[in-house]
Amino acid sequence: MAVEARKIETTAPPPGVSARPHTGLVTTALLAPPLVWLGVFFLVPVVLIFLYSVNVFSFFPGEQAFTLDAWKNFLDGSPFLDLFWKSIRMALIVSVVAVVAAYPIAYFIALIASKRKYVLLLLILAPFLVSYFLRLLAWKVILGDQGVINSFLTWTGIRDEPVSWLLYSQFAVILTLIYVYIPFVALPIFASLESLDRRLLEAASDLGASRWQAFRKVTLPLSMPGVIAAFIFVFIPTIGEYFTPLLVGGVEGTMFGNAIADQFGQSLNWLNGSVLSFFLLVVVAVLMSIFARFLTVRRVATG
Amino acid sequence: MATPAMDIAVSRNGKRVLNVWFAIVVLFLYAPLGLLLMFSFNDNNLPVFPLRGFTTQAYQDFAANPELRASVVTSAKVASIASLGAVLLGLLAAIALVRRRIVGKSAASALLLSPLVVPYIALAIGLLVFFNEVSVPLGIPTLVMGHVVLAIPYTILILVPRLERLDIRLEEAARDLGAGWFQTFRLITLPLLLPALVSAYIVAFVLSFDEIVVANFVNGQTTTFPLYLFSQLRFPTLLPQVIAVACIVMAASVLLLIGAEIGRRVVERRLGTEPTAPPAGSA
Repeated sequence: MAVEARKIETTAPPPGVSARPHTGLVTTALLAPPLVWLGVFFLVPVVLIFLYSVNVFSFFPGEQAFTLDAWKNFLDGSPFLDLFWKSIRMALIVSVVAVVAAYPIAYFIALIASKRKYVLLLLILAPFLVSYFLRLLAWKVILGDQGVINSFLTWTGIRDEPVSWLLYSQFAVILTLIYVYIPFVALPIFASLESLDRRLLEAASDLGASRWQAFRKVTLPLSMPGVIAAFIFVFIPTIGEYFTPLLVGGVEGTMFGNAIADQFGQSLNWLNGSVLSFFLLVVVAVLMSIFARFLTVRRVATG
Repeated sequence: MATPAMDIAVSRNGKRVLNVWFAIVVLFLYAPLGLLLMFSFNDNNLPVFPLRGFTTQAYQDFAANPELRASVVTSAKVASIASLGAVLLGLLAAIALVRRRIVGKSAASALLLSPLVVPYIALAIGLLVFFNEVSVPLGIPTLVMGHVVLAIPYTILILVPRLERLDIRLEEAARDLGAGWFQTFRLITLPLLLPALVSAYIVAFVLSFDEIVVANFVNGQTTTFPLYLFSQLRFPTLLPQVIAVACIVMAASVLLLIGAEIGRRVVERRLGTEPTAPPAGSA
């Protein structure tokens, strides 16, 4: 999917573009409704979040004056900042493990399983079609104190007491997110390995490269765009993950997204919440621009 | 038959290792869902070992639960309208991106696809703040507006590759034969694109039906199906019912998506525009 996303941007003269002259009016009429929709329901809200974060707008009527106090409080070593770094760490673990686990799968399907290729791919992708909520629920049921694993352990007498850190922990959040994302990660890696020119491998072999050398010098570099795309599409949304920690994280597994939700919910502190939200949006934008450039450089470097 | 490239890709032992790893990952992906299904038929209010016996009680209980049925209807309403909106807007965007030369194309597509990467919590908060500021009461309409935003990138990603594969000469021939642009669109482009439009609609529908983060913030007093399930998790004795209904939805959505994918392939094969890309439902 990520691969297709890049394709839209890069097919400068697409093969299907009409030779007919284009009136700007028609293009505008086509592009305006979707762009306006995202402008109104995405960009305007982002601007509003910023205005709330500097107290130009406020949830409470009355006292509205520009101030950076909330930003200062946040950036000056607040616990929310610690929570942010914790979320970055967790997102990094999730995305790296998911990519490392999925790469051999994608490699196997793309380069080795010749005939049953698409059946195997569907087998890996199918869980992604299953409700997100249901997949979280499954792990809640499996990991709980009275869950599948613990009831099995006590029933068989392997342990007398349930293992308590399985659920409502960082471990539970990370495990569940890896579970959720493996199919998602496998797809772009598969796509990049699938488009790999097999003759390059034969050439490497003819020139005396060992299997490992051929992998390290040819296959791996050429599949990097897929790996990076997969990494981005897991890492960035996971920084702001909210529902998974809510369901299986408990206190220990709380993430930045939960802090945001709490500021807009129970704490009713829209000022603080807007600071956290806008900060998250800035981080996402910065990461996207960094990775986008890296992807472009890669594409140029690898032809 | 082993190709030389394949021999270079992996040694015999390496292939064995990859086979085992593949099996482990497949087990990891399916075992939780299988366990869930198993416990939905277990004669016990708690999903614990040992298994006590087979029952369909949980399935019967949920069928008799009016709140739950109401939440399913609400979600179906939201999803059917939101996915219609997302497909229409996605279609316009896809045509513009594929068929037209646009100034600032990368900026436009970056904006259109951005809901894919932006954490849903940020989108949800933005919508909450926005609806509060313009004093729109939260409910089904606000849920629809939010879900259209989330679904647009998916519809675009499904429609763009199909549109790229669609032979432009068919449209040009129609225009040369005197058809207006709308006639061309209605008689040529739309029918050829129909299978992809159906795919996009179903993917958007499933996305909206299942969505819980944005729904959690802009629902007002409305309870969607995932929100209802979530609220019921507080009562442990209701867990089997929740599992049962979740299993039914799982089965339905998988069947729907796979059915649509097969249908689309059959139709496109007949039309001679067979796709070579991975299935659309995977997006």
